[in-house]
Amino acid sequence: MPSPSSKLQSLEEAAARVPDGTRLAFGGFAVYQKPMGFVRELVRQGRKNLTVVGSAQSYDVDLLAAGGCLSCVETSYVGLEKHGLARHYRRAVERGEIKVVDYPEMVSWDRFRASQEGLAFWPVPFLGGSDIVRYNPAIKPFACPMTGHPMHAVPAADVDVVVIHALAADERGNVVFPARRLLPQSNDVLMGRSCDTVIVTVEKLVSNAFIRKHSRLVELPSYKVNSVVELPYGAHPTPALGAYHADEKHYGEYVAASESAEATAAYLKKFVHLDGGNDAYLEAVGAAQLARLKDMDSLL
Amino acid sequence: MTEPTLYETLAAVLAKEFLNGEVGFTGLLTGKAAAMFGTAIPIVAMELARRTHAPDLTLLLAGCYHNPDFSQLEAMPDSEHDAVLRDLSTEAQTYDYPGQWALKRGDISFGFSSAVQVDAVGNINSVCIGSYDKPKVRLVGPILQPEHMTLFRREYIMMPHHDRRNFVEKVDFISGVGFPGGEAGRKSLGLAWGGPALVLTPKCVFDFDRVAGRIRVRSIHEGVGHDELRDATGFDLGDLSGVPTTPRPSDDELTIIRREIDPRRILFSPT
Repeated sequence: MPSPSSKLQSLEEAAARVPDGTRLAFGGFAVYQKPMGFVRELVRQGRKNLTVVGSAQSYDVDLLAAGGCLSCVETSYVGLEKHGLARHYRRAVERGEIKVVDYPEMVSWDRFRASQEGLAFWPVPFLGGSDIVRYNPAIKPFACPMTGHPMHAVPAADVDVVVIHALAADERGNVVFPARRLLPQSNDVLMGRSCDTVIVTVEKLVSNAFIRKHSRLVELPSYKVNSVVELPYGAHPTPALGAYHADEKHYGEYVAASESAEATAAYLKKFVHLDGGNDAYLEAVGAAQLARLKDMDSLL
Repeated sequence: MTEPTLYETLAAVLAKEFLNGEVGFTGLLTGKAAAMFGTAIPIVAMELARRTHAPDLTLLLAGCYHNPDFSQLEAMPDSEHDAVLRDLSTEAQTYDYPGQWALKRGDISFGFSSAVQVDAVGNINSVCIGSYDKPKVRLVGPILQPEHMTLFRREYIMMPHHDRRNFVEKVDFISGVGFPGGEAGRKSLGLAWGGPALVLTPKCVFDFDRVAGRIRVRSIHEGVGHDELRDATGFDLGDLSGVPTTPRPSDDELTIIRREIDPRRILFSPT
């Protein structure tokens, strides 16, 4: 019997699945568990004209904005939570370089639910009077065929590629999620089921035997996944549930750098435009700093 | 009993609005003033209601944590999905969407929004200042405001600053719908329930004439003059002569807030 094929790829190879102009989604939610290692690679390779579709964005979209990689963002939120507005993104939008298509938060999730169910739209009964509808010709009014109630058809997310960062997978692309999940991991599962091209970066590559021992936790089985990239600390500086907390020190450095073009260039040189891939990034952050971030999660 | 603070006063005003058995939803806002108005005051208000007239009120913190035990809190959480909240004792945690609460069926009785602008019909804006296509200031986006202002049974708008630039005749972008055309106007937009109930600010409490669809001053905080209020507000406030002063919390309410809800001054930490 021939062996099952391996989906294992280098970061560079996996990023080649996202050419200029791709419409893509990142897992995680707001400032939680974003596939930042993959985002850094897109910036490093100088990608252009990307459209990011999501539910809530932060450092992912802001770093792509710093790299000049974006033409459009469709989401409910772009900000850095307690660190305020996402400066690179904000400036690029104010200069007219990035088009923003605003969607409500739960509607943003529902757009991926539509894609998961193979539907072209999701019916939304609560958008009357909102400027979200006024500025978005892709949202179409219709009457509920059962009740006549006024509704809006919101287009499915319909992305070309989904990229998520997860705890572990085997080479075949079976992805395990911790039993005790939070909403950002739920978003990863939903997005991973909504698209034909799914790239998963993982903290740890595990054996098929490990996967079989935890099969109840495999929310994305191998046939849903196209690329597996082993990328320790691949969500850094955002947290990865059960692995590490947010790097508040790095957030501070990032935010300070985003105040001027010179500081941004220095940040990108130090943390993004590196030969030597993810290992070089981890060296730049420093072993002691990474060690401090360890998340104990639960003893049970 | 020392004088009540503004935050204690607003928490007591809010607590009286909540009914037994309701479900109250707070986001987790960040930044000092926004976190105070959007998260800390709502938490204290709901805890006060639970200890007085509404023992069956469910407090849904950050939209995920059902009735968390605040006595275990060592610091005000400033992040929705990290360890401080994850490890706090709760009755149920939302880990999925859709989760325990059926949003579109109207399970959420009330919530709390903050915004950069609120206008004379109660619309709110957190999307942009200036034109949409080339904004003067691009803000964070609509977030969950559209849902708060339509799917929740009612909404309390919590404004940490009261300035002319925040209280405008018409918002630059409607990310949460108020009462354009009154209740009839909302119905014609297909909105079956919901909308803003009160707007709380450091200067006053607004409610709405729900027939006319117009904001009005319900009470003015102690020490705030009519001219000061008019100067700080970008829409006409009408005749203020009959408007009462915002009621002070009773000694009992203050005792509950200070001794039971926030004895270590974590929620209402001194600045």
